[in-house]
Formats: sequence, C-alpha cells, structure tokens
Amino acid sequence: MAKMDKKWVVLCSTAVAAVYATGYFITETEAVIQPSLQQNQVNTLTNQMSTGSNSETSRTAVTANEVKSTDKVQQTSVYRDGVYEGIGSNRRGSIQVTVTIQKDKITDVEISQFAMHYSEQDVVNMPDEVMNKQSAQVNNVSGATYSTEAFSSAVQDALDQARNT
Amino acid sequence: MTLQKWMKSPKGYVAMAMTAYLVIASIAVFDIKGIIHGLVAVGVAMIVDVLFGLVNRKKRMLPDGAIITGLIVALILSTSASWVVVAATVILAIVSKYVLVSRNKPIFNPAAMGLLLSVLIFGTGESWWGAFGDLPVWMIALLLIGGYAITGRVNKFPQIFSFLGTYFVLLSLMGLFHTGDAGNALRAPFINAVLFCGFFMVTDLPTSPAKTKDQLVFGVLASVVGALVYGLFGGLMYLFIGLLCANLYHFLRTRYTFFL
Repeated sequence: MAKMDKKWVVLCSTAVAAVYATGYFITETEAVIQPSLQQNQVNTLTNQMSTGSNSETSRTAVTANEVKSTDKVQQTSVYRDGVYEGIGSNRRGSIQVTVTIQKDKITDVEISQFAMHYSEQDVVNMPDEVMNKQSAQVNNVSGATYSTEAFSSAVQDALDQARNT
Repeated sequence: MTLQKWMKSPKGYVAMAMTAYLVIASIAVFDIKGIIHGLVAVGVAMIVDVLFGLVNRKKRMLPDGAIITGLIVALILSTSASWVVVAATVILAIVSKYVLVSRNKPIFNPAAMGLLLSVLIFGTGESWWGAFGDLPVWMIALLLIGGYAITGRVNKFPQIFSFLGTYFVLLSLMGLFHTGDAGNALRAPFINAVLFCGFFMVTDLPTSPAKTKDQLVFGVLASVVGALVYGLFGGLMYLFIGLLCANLYHFLRTRYTFFL
C-alpha cells in the first residue's frame, strides 16, 4: 500500500485538530460552569444553614445558636454542630459528601454524589473510616488513589466549613 | 536481525517510544513504582511469551511483541496497583494473544484485552500515567511526536485520522447536545488516553487491516463504539471496548465473505 502523501497528512491533521478545537470550545462552558455550580451548591447549603430555611438546617441553626450561647463551649469546640456538604475533585471526576457534626464529633458521613471514572466500590468503606478516625485522612485503597484523594478532600472541605473561626 | 535493523522496525519504534515514555513519566512524577511495574510487566510478558513459543514450537522466539504488550500495560495501569495485579494483567494479555487466534495472528489487541479483563476481574484502576495523564498538558506533544513517527512507520494514517476525527466529531456533538461528559473526555487525562490508545494500540499491525478503505472503517468503528460506551456508561473501559469491537470486525471481515 502506498504511503499517505505528506500534504494529506498535514491536511487531515489540521482537520482533526480543528474538530478537536471545536469540541473543546463547545464544552469549555460546561467545564467552567461545573465547578461554579458545585461551589454554588456549597454556598447555598451554608446559607440555608445560617438562615434555617428547612427542618434539617433549622435544627442545625438552633444547635449552632445553642453552642454560640455558651461561651465556654465555643472556646473549646473545634467545629460547629450541623450538617455540612463538601466537594473533592481532580482530573478524574468529583465526589460530594455530607458530613454531620455533633459536639465536635463526626457522627455521620455520606457520599451524596459520586462522579469519578472509577468504581464507587473503591470508596464505599471510607465514610466508616472517617468516623472511626474522626479525620479526613483515610488510608489509600490500592488502585484507587484518585478516588481516595477526592473523597478525602471532600470531607476536609466539609470540615473546613464547620470549623469554628 | 541486527539490533540496528530491529530498532528501525515498527516493533522497535514502539518499544523505544514506550520505554522513553516510561522513563520520562516516572522521572516527572518522582515515582519509582512506574519503573518497577515496567520491569515486572516486561519480565512476566517475556516469560509467558517464550513458554507459549516453546509449546507452539515457534521458529521466531524473540518476545519483542510481548515486551511492547508488557510496557503498554505498565504505562496504563495505575502505579498504586499491586505488582501482582500488573503481572496478572500481563498474563491475561499474553494468553489472549495465543488463545484467541486466527491464521496464526491474534484476533484482539493483547494489551487491550488484558486491560479490559483486568478491570472486570480485579477492578484495577487505570491512570494512563505513561501517557502523561497527570502531568502538564504540553507533554501531550511527546505523545504526538512518538505517535506520528510510529503511525508513519506502520503506514496507518488513514486509520488514526478516521479514529480521532470520528471520535472528536461525536464528542463535539455530545457537548453540543449536553449528552454525556464530553468536556472531561476532551481534556487531560482522558485526551491523553485517546491519543495513546489511538497511536499505539489502534495501529497495532497484526490486529488491524492494511488497506486504506479497511483502515477507515476500522478507525470509525473503534471510535463510534468507544464514544457510545463513554456517552452511555462513562468509566474507563470505553476505549478498549471500541478497539476490541473493531478487532472483531476485522477478524470477521477477513474470515467470512459476507462482511466484505
């Protein structure tokens, strides 16, 4: 078979690159909007918590007020009581978690959204590990480094929001 | 065959490119595990290949094809995977090369088959670290340099252009209609995976056609199936499934006249 002419190689390469650039441009808005939306979700949740706009967050707000009313407790507690949502993402997807904190203790961790390109099974035991360790620093699962990192930073994100400042 | 002749052969080109990527990526991410996985994968691939060669009484015992398979597996599997999984994946790949055969040629790309089975059996994580998936975007230029050199050497430009062209058109349409996650697929590390798979696996000589028209169909089929699987299910297996479907089509086409 005759070799493809160099001119055709250049022409076809340019055409393929043009199609790629079109696709990249079309999806750029999505790629930019996605993190903003996630950020908005977090902000919305935080705002809901502060305004007490639903039953869950009302409970949280009340609890938080109770904590605030006791100066001694506020001085010693690291976290504010409540339900916090955190997001961790990397090049291979994102994980969203919901972390419940009561009396400075992580009482519940749930994976609310799993959008990694790996199996969710890789991180299914991690919420329990967080509660046992009371820390976002979970052990790496062999072959699931990216999911582990995203999960860990999602929990850390939630804890950072809960932290008493 | 002298070493100089072998280095100028298609297998020599691919082996040198894969070795260079392994070393560059390992240095760039400061991770010795990549080198260790590479040595394990190549060692196991050579042993299994020679054993099959002895059983089949092959005249040519040089396991250069197996070395390439081992290197590709090592470059794709996550470096956090256990070396046992790397070795098992390579064994699956080499076994498929000798078991799923037609007219003394493998039907399926051995590395793609091994990696697909590895995901299904071991749930192995794939990072495409050797395709510079975790490194700065400019390093894609290295993939293109090696890819073009090899594609030119094996005379597979029609195949690679139809594969990449169709794939990007389909992803652009997905992006336009907000179906699937086209944005991710067009960016690192997934774009690295597509280029690596296209240049170094789709162009595999024994498992793909030679004629221009057949190459075009092969490339289109691999990308259509791959993009569909990605659009519907996401995950990491879409490129392998697309390539293996095209391999199957090539096998059926050469074996049965009604596919002509």
